[in-house]
Amino acid sequence: MISSLVLALTLSQYTPQEAQALFVEANDFYYKGDYANAQSRYEKLLAAGLGGPDVLFNLGTSHLAAGQLGPAVLFLERAARVSDDDDIGANLAVARERQQDQVIGAEATSVPFNQRVAAAIDERAVAIGFLVTWWLGFVLVWLTWRREGGRVVPGLIAALLILVGAALGGALWMTANVKATVEEAIVMPDVARVREFPGDAAKVSFEVHAGLKVRIMETSGRYARVRLPNALEGWTEKEGLVSL
Amino acid sequence: MARTGSASLFGLVAVLALPAFAAAEPEVTMQADREKVGVEDTFRVDITVANAPQGATLNLPSSDDFEVLGRSQGSHMSYSVGPGGAGVVTYVQKHTLTLRANRTGKLTIPGAVLLTGSEKLATRPLVIEVVPGRIAQNDKRRAPPPNPFGLPPGFPGVPGFDDDAMSGIPDDLVPEVPRGDSDLFLRMTLDKNEAYVGEQVMLTIHLYSRIDLSTVDAVTMPKLDGFLSQDFKTPTQLMSEQRIISGVAYREYLLRQKAIFPLKSGSVVIEPAEADITTGLIFAGHKVHRKGNELKLTVRNLPPGPATTIVGRWRLSREISQTEISLGEPVQVKLTLEGRGNLQAVQLPPLNAPPSFKAFDPETSDKPSSSRSHVGGTRVIEYTLVPQQTGNFVLPSVSVPYFDPEARKYDEMRLDELAITVKPGVGGATIQMQPGVPTVTGDPGVKNQLIGGGLKSLRHTARFATPRPALSTQPWFVPLGAAPLLLTLLAGAFVFVRGSIGPETEDSIKKRQARAAKKRLAGAEKLLAKGSTGDFYAEVERALTSFMSARLGLAVAGLTRDELMLKLTAAGLSEVDRRRIGHVLETCDTGRYAPGMGEPAARQQAMDEATKAMEAWR
Repeated sequence: MISSLVLALTLSQYTPQEAQALFVEANDFYYKGDYANAQSRYEKLLAAGLGGPDVLFNLGTSHLAAGQLGPAVLFLERAARVSDDDDIGANLAVARERQQDQVIGAEATSVPFNQRVAAAIDERAVAIGFLVTWWLGFVLVWLTWRREGGRVVPGLIAALLILVGAALGGALWMTANVKATVEEAIVMPDVARVREFPGDAAKVSFEVHAGLKVRIMETSGRYARVRLPNALEGWTEKEGLVSL
Repeated sequence: MARTGSASLFGLVAVLALPAFAAAEPEVTMQADREKVGVEDTFRVDITVANAPQGATLNLPSSDDFEVLGRSQGSHMSYSVGPGGAGVVTYVQKHTLTLRANRTGKLTIPGAVLLTGSEKLATRPLVIEVVPGRIAQNDKRRAPPPNPFGLPPGFPGVPGFDDDAMSGIPDDLVPEVPRGDSDLFLRMTLDKNEAYVGEQVMLTIHLYSRIDLSTVDAVTMPKLDGFLSQDFKTPTQLMSEQRIISGVAYREYLLRQKAIFPLKSGSVVIEPAEADITTGLIFAGHKVHRKGNELKLTVRNLPPGPATTIVGRWRLSREISQTEISLGEPVQVKLTLEGRGNLQAVQLPPLNAPPSFKAFDPETSDKPSSSRSHVGGTRVIEYTLVPQQTGNFVLPSVSVPYFDPEARKYDEMRLDELAITVKPGVGGATIQMQPGVPTVTGDPGVKNQLIGGGLKSLRHTARFATPRPALSTQPWFVPLGAAPLLLTLLAGAFVFVRGSIGPETEDSIKKRQARAAKKRLAGAEKLLAKGSTGDFYAEVERALTSFMSARLGLAVAGLTRDELMLKLTAAGLSEVDRRRIGHVLETCDTGRYAPGMGEPAARQQAMDEATKAMEAWR
């Protein structure tokens, strides 16, 4: 993490002090009610590779204060993906409360197991845990392989380590699979029409509004098939969606 | 300094293109408007020619003692009825010279001569007494030149040449025509000779010319040390106005005008400005350099009064975006200062917002402006305040003294108190009340209301992080994870292959036999619960015997018990293990033939002993 931050600071046009000053300046604009200027400064930091949960949280909150639900949810969701801070969840809750769409029946539609696992785990910690247990288990197997007698206890420990490693590896595989196959996006325009099939002539099934999180199932030309949390589906224009 | 025009060209010959008048005699007169002048003064000489015949020429007077600063000419024709009822036409031409003496003394202006073919008419010379300095100030009400021809008052007015053009300007501000450069000169003026510290003084640089100008190439301003200065007028094109200076017509060009503000008291000398000028036509002109005059200014300290450095005439006003706001909602307070004077030098006191308000650094914008004769401007200072708790608050009154140099007295800018009410915000942020900071409220029963919920406040410092790719997506991750499994499989395969196709060594044979013995013991275990007692014990004995044969590398079946013990001792087996082996062999012999050994407990004990004996021998 430190090395990547050093690399980012090297490549960006800001020194750490300048970056921090820009961050504080953006906060000042926020408190003066000048949300546009605050946002432009947070975005400069993001563009320079100086992101992180704090910048994303402030940018999302700034959009939320300005009444721009689409980008507010987008940046707060992105912040939530890299931090489990309570404040992010609180402001996301405010944003969802202001969001115009009420997805009925979303609670009844359970999230698939693999997605829940992917959402729950810390990929980095699990990856490191997998490597450590997996290797330890096999090293123990190798040490007890040629041992004459007294191999029961080491054998059991090795088996346990390999079992845990396999479980962690499985969770990791599930997470990678979810990331590769499940794409979520936020609706940006105030109103986006969702049609029965891709095409301007298609009948409008329903409308969604800024800030709604949807899952992109597939794309076709200018359109993307989106699925709501309650499994309601339809086609809407891709340019109105920004991936998380 | 280069001369641009003739100042001593006095003896002009004028060809008088006149109609022929046969009835009247030609006449020429010369008259000065004064008989006594200062050497710095200008005076006027009028040469009047009446009824000159056609082809007549007039020789104007010439003298090195006088400099011609200006020359004008006018004519007039009148008709009158003469004796006998005959009409008489009188044509009068008048030449006016504006002169200045070059030295003191009683100086003579030679007479003008009118040549009419064979006749020569001359005026009498004029004697002018020239004294040092200037006496014109004492002679403002001098009489107009005599009008020998009874012409109407105002004659001979030349259009655009108004004698009173500088009449509204104080004498000391009227520029002095320099001796020698009277055709083209540069003059700096101040609109006042005395000023207070910080008071505006207008510095003007004019160019006066009686010749054609092409361009003013450069103007070098004087150093204005000890002053703050602000441009007032900087013309980009040469624009002129007609001016009569000391009776001479000039075109006046404004080059620069600056408002200057003295910073300290005392007598200040302003050095001359300089200019490079191109005269004449664009392609046929030549460049000349002119240097202006030095200026003196007396700067006085402000009179006793309140401690302030603000000078001018100012007004301060305050606007607030709203006086009733919600908790956490920003409020803008705008202070507007406007007036005339040096805006840059005005320092206003801070807003002094109540401590319960978070005040951000103000944004200040200056907009300079100027009136006809003064500079000034407007300064807007915008404060953003964010209330940190509910209650009634007061923005304190503001009083800023300043000195008004026009009224020569102190005045003040004043703002009254301003009340702000902060109400609980709907969905406002949770804000901690600051300890020790009382709210200003008239009712002690009113609670300071703090409402939770709403948006969480921003992060005030950031931990920057670059988005990283997932660890599991790194190219080395999968090989590293698969490595132990693959290594184990490879090792197992190697052992298997080596065991299957590799040559048998003594050691491997021993191990194989030992494994076979152990298998046999395992087979005996199957007979533990069922089968005959003899078979069980025989199997145990065979297993143990096979094991020992494999370990010792010789057949032990034919050995006596003593020989076996010797072999075991030689093989380094301990006494305890030897005894255990002996005991197992004894048990097996007894079990095969003695009744009572078929009990399960006895069988199990024999089995355990044989296992221990094998495990003990490594």
